[in-house]
Amino acid sequence: MMTALMIAIVVLGGSAGDVFITKGMKQIGEISTINLHQLLWIALRVLSNKNFIIGIVFMACSFFAFLSVLSWADLSFVLPATSLSFVITTAGAKFVLHERISRVRLAGTVLVCLGVALISLP
Amino acid sequence: MKESEDTQMKTPVVLIVAIISQAIGNVFITKAMKLITSPVAGGDDLVSTVARAVTNPTLWLGTALLIIFFVLYSAALSWADLSFVLPATAFGYVLNVAAGHYFLSESVTPARWAGSLIITLGVFLVSRSGVRTIDTPQEIS
Repeated sequence: MMTALMIAIVVLGGSAGDVFITKGMKQIGEISTINLHQLLWIALRVLSNKNFIIGIVFMACSFFAFLSVLSWADLSFVLPATSLSFVITTAGAKFVLHERISRVRLAGTVLVCLGVALISLP
Repeated sequence: MKESEDTQMKTPVVLIVAIISQAIGNVFITKAMKLITSPVAGGDDLVSTVARAVTNPTLWLGTALLIIFFVLYSAALSWADLSFVLPATAFGYVLNVAAGHYFLSESVTPARWAGSLIITLGVFLVSRSGVRTIDTPQEIS
């Protein structure tokens, strides 16, 4: 039960982190310069963007939940379970960020999820 | 869906560099951590293990490469869909399996090679689906 809860935090925290980071980066706008001065200025704006910071906090929670669940559960069980995050993050991208998920993209994402689960098995 | 030629060009370049940095970074970190925690390296108490970790140049190099990955990943998200970037970077798993096999002499089971093949197919499909589906950037709140 505790293991399921922690894996839920790992997966949902990671997905929420990705969604918030994307939201923050879209607010910053398309980065299309290679001028060092401008890049430093962009970095400053990214690091002070509220959504980006919230995203990093979610990712940190996910990472620490991952480390702590590994202290009692097997990596070969935890790692395949976290491949679910590909599908859940895609759902977040659709419903929160309003990205359009075509059939081809959905099919590709499901294959990636299956493949990652397969790779993570012992 | 309108993508500038600029966006079409830079997305694969940025993501490929990101994935390669991540794979090499993971190899360095694995190599360093195995060395740091091996019995021949010295005492296994927390203080001396941490001391060996922070003075290990390979670990720093690996960490720097993972930071480069994250910076490029975030940069790609400034113009590309999350639902594109995330599955596309999953190709890194395939590189990690290959790198583990060739540089760290890890044994790779048939299931892992099969998983790599399925991921590659999935990434190929995702890469056919366009980089960006939202036209207007969101307003800054």
